[in-house]
Amino acid sequence: MKERVFQILSQIMGTPVQNIREDSSPDTIAEWDSLKHMRLVLALEEEFSVRFSDETIVGMLNVSDILKALSDSQPQLKSFAQP
Amino acid sequence: MKRITYAEIEEKLRSEAIAALPPIRCAVLRNIVVEPIEPWLRYMAYEIGFNATCVFGEYDNVFQEAVSTGQILTPDTDCVLVFLRLETLSWDLARNFSGLTGELISSEKARIENLISNVLSGIRRQTSAMILWHSFELPIYPAPEQTPVIESLNQILRQALAGAENAYYIDLNLALARIGAEAFYDLRYWHIGKAPYSREALREISVEILKHVRALKGKQRKCLVLDCDNTLWGGIVGEDGLAAIKLGKTYPGSAYYEFQQEILSLYNRGIMIALCSKNNEADVWEVFERHPDMLLRKEHIAAAQINWDNKITNLKQLAADLNIGLDSLVFADDSEFETGQVRQYLPEVDVIELPPGRAVEYREILARYPGFFNLTVTEEDKTRGAMYKAEANRKELQATSLNLEDYYKSLEMVLEIKIADSFSIPRIAQLTQKTNQFNLTTRRYSDAEIRRFAETDTSDVLYAVLKDRFGDSGIVGVCILKYEANQAIIDSFLLSCRVLGRGVEEAFLTHCLKRAKRRCTAAIGEYRRTAKNEQVKDFYSRRGFQTIDSTNEGDFYSANLEGRLPEPPRFFKSIESQVDL
Repeated sequence: MKERVFQILSQIMGTPVQNIREDSSPDTIAEWDSLKHMRLVLALEEEFSVRFSDETIVGMLNVSDILKALSDSQPQLKSFAQP
Repeated sequence: MKRITYAEIEEKLRSEAIAALPPIRCAVLRNIVVEPIEPWLRYMAYEIGFNATCVFGEYDNVFQEAVSTGQILTPDTDCVLVFLRLETLSWDLARNFSGLTGELISSEKARIENLISNVLSGIRRQTSAMILWHSFELPIYPAPEQTPVIESLNQILRQALAGAENAYYIDLNLALARIGAEAFYDLRYWHIGKAPYSREALREISVEILKHVRALKGKQRKCLVLDCDNTLWGGIVGEDGLAAIKLGKTYPGSAYYEFQQEILSLYNRGIMIALCSKNNEADVWEVFERHPDMLLRKEHIAAAQINWDNKITNLKQLAADLNIGLDSLVFADDSEFETGQVRQYLPEVDVIELPPGRAVEYREILARYPGFFNLTVTEEDKTRGAMYKAEANRKELQATSLNLEDYYKSLEMVLEIKIADSFSIPRIAQLTQKTNQFNLTTRRYSDAEIRRFAETDTSDVLYAVLKDRFGDSGIVGVCILKYEANQAIIDSFLLSCRVLGRGVEEAFLTHCLKRAKRRCTAAIGEYRRTAKNEQVKDFYSRRGFQTIDSTNEGDFYSANLEGRLPEPPRFFKSIESQVDL
């Protein structure tokens, strides 16, 4: 999952995947503004077939928050098994 | 086919050579956050060969940006997208409706009407670009009496846009109905970031926007090519027989009946219909002629390839027969094998897949296809299907004729030459604007300019109408004569490409010269070179004109009108001049 998240972050932000770490955040990735954050959320929801709550969205302040939000959503995910 | 994801779109937009494509510069005036529409717009534009770019105005700064210059709109702007959402524009009308008095409702309506008109005229002062203005959404759970008020606002908007040139109403309520409110709105982002529309909604809205852009750029498709068995009817006519195929007003034939009605509607909007199917040809035509519930008739079919060859070859043949490019074709078939093959080998052709076993959805699938959309439907469009059909018949005749002269004679062409009147002026102006190949001077004129030439005594506007045994081609030639002393200057001489190579130009020119002879002793012809009119370079010298000058402006020729004028070709059935000579 982590790899896919890094991949999507890289695609949305337009920054090489090597630049992305678990502690990457809007403070360390210049392209990561609020509009990019929105696109990122939409892309992650599509990729992992999940739906974050509004509180979760505004609470995603860095990559590890995203990973945590995704794993918290995993239980509902069983039926959408990813390859 | 797998649907492309949002992340893949972003990546594709970065990697592909999009920058080299012709641009479509969009300026977005809005009072909501709609930035996530940009990837969809760019991607869909890329699919039809354009590099779309978006400039977003400041949030809720629509009025200022519309009325003051140099902010968002520039003379280069191709398309202005307006998103004025009622929630931001009038919280009261959108959300506090039950708390309003009738007086307040009226004053809010008046304020919005005023704003629409000011924004629209402000945009128009800055750019002639296409304006696409998104409607107000009808409330999903309206307050009592609220819906008609919002509907009347939309009506006001429609009328304002109809009164402004090149401005169109994008109905968000259609997008909303198509995907449903739950999928349309993203309430989280409405609250977090004033971005009301979901990714799916923005996709649906982009489809509507791109329909208009495609039509504006002349990239619409012209011809729908259909398979027959399990497409136009259920079952296989060659095996099941005429009586057993599924087609009719009741289930299960009703799915195909409705599909045919949708095809017929496209025909009536000027889309050509062609057949490409693996059948015995006689079996197919028997269905067309004898099945009582066939809505499509043989006369609707512009061209057909019914044989056992592969569909790649047949589609190429259809394009050649109809004299259109492969990029004008849309191919619809229920066979994954056929659609897959066409996608692979003829990527220029658009493909509509009709999933087997889901015939009940065929009508919707065809109606959803965006490539046939036209901004307006002219009278000319409505008869285009018949004209192309006539052209295909002419080709068939030509193939069986002994020689060209024999072919011309058998066409039984009737040429009429007339003086412009108020009925013919719009089409004459349109021809001067659209004709590129057979056009000696390529001067573009508006209706008003043509009218002036027609009304003043020092000029004449003549036109030619051609009919033959296959149909009426309408107005196909235009000549503008300007009289200066004893000279008649041929300001414009052009012919529609539909009738090239049938001797019309010779007959028409002869009659124009006869008209000029009434008051002049010489005619001056002019050839102004463009990138597209090479074929008429020697037109005047071949007609016996003498070269008198050759400048950067063009080549000038002169003909003495006092001697014998060249005879028109003999192969016309008749040439009827309604011009005083």
